[in-house]
Amino acid sequence: MEEASSPDRTLHVKVCLFSSLRDLTGSSHHHLALTSPACGRDVLDAMEEAFPAFRPYRDVIRLAVNLEYASDGIPLNDGDEVAIITPVSGG
Amino acid sequence: MHEIKTGSLWLCLQQAPLDVGAVSTFLPEEKSGAVNLFIGTTRGKTGEKATRLLEYEAYEPMALNVLEEIARESERVGRSYRLCIHHRLGSVPVKEASVIVGVSTGHRAEGFAISRFLIDTLKERVPIWKREVYDDGSSEWVQGRIPPPVAS
Repeated sequence: MEEASSPDRTLHVKVCLFSSLRDLTGSSHHHLALTSPACGRDVLDAMEEAFPAFRPYRDVIRLAVNLEYASDGIPLNDGDEVAIITPVSGG
Repeated sequence: MHEIKTGSLWLCLQQAPLDVGAVSTFLPEEKSGAVNLFIGTTRGKTGEKATRLLEYEAYEPMALNVLEEIARESERVGRSYRLCIHHRLGSVPVKEASVIVGVSTGHRAEGFAISRFLIDTLKERVPIWKREVYDDGSSEWVQGRIPPPVAS
């Protein structure tokens, strides 16, 4: 994993969207190529750049990385699955 | 369907109608003196609008993990002998059950307390979403709750 800190390495993550964000982007999965090192916040920035309508959601979403809730600052690794969780309404 | 089933724990996310009978058969055991069930159903009216059905979706593998976490955390609320959380996905028409939480306990007080913890925490943290579909055919995502932040 030493290569992960190499500044010119690209890492690929799968982004999963649900409910209103899936409707907004038209797809439940997106693939992003990020410059390493990258963290959760970089995924949100990239999504916002691709979909400006994403912006109003920034204050109400949580990230999950590889099926666990995570902070926006979590460092990402190649192949991670990053889910963007809008407010939940189960039950 | 995503499911975890052991001798004392039964967690399930399924498209098919929920089976209250199966849950109430699973829960009691020799040491328990109470079975407490909470069943959430689709309400036919939201404000002034008539609801036809609710449509649920989940981030299924994570939802199952979070349910397991919540079941584990419920030990802090009280001791249960057996515990179930079943959530339906897809369309849930008016009056039908979208969720069942249930526990068997020694006495009723911890049964009520644990059931309440389970449903309240599920609503706050499990990645499941619902859309209201109204009688006029229009629909909208239900304004939900922001899960608690994770410390950096």
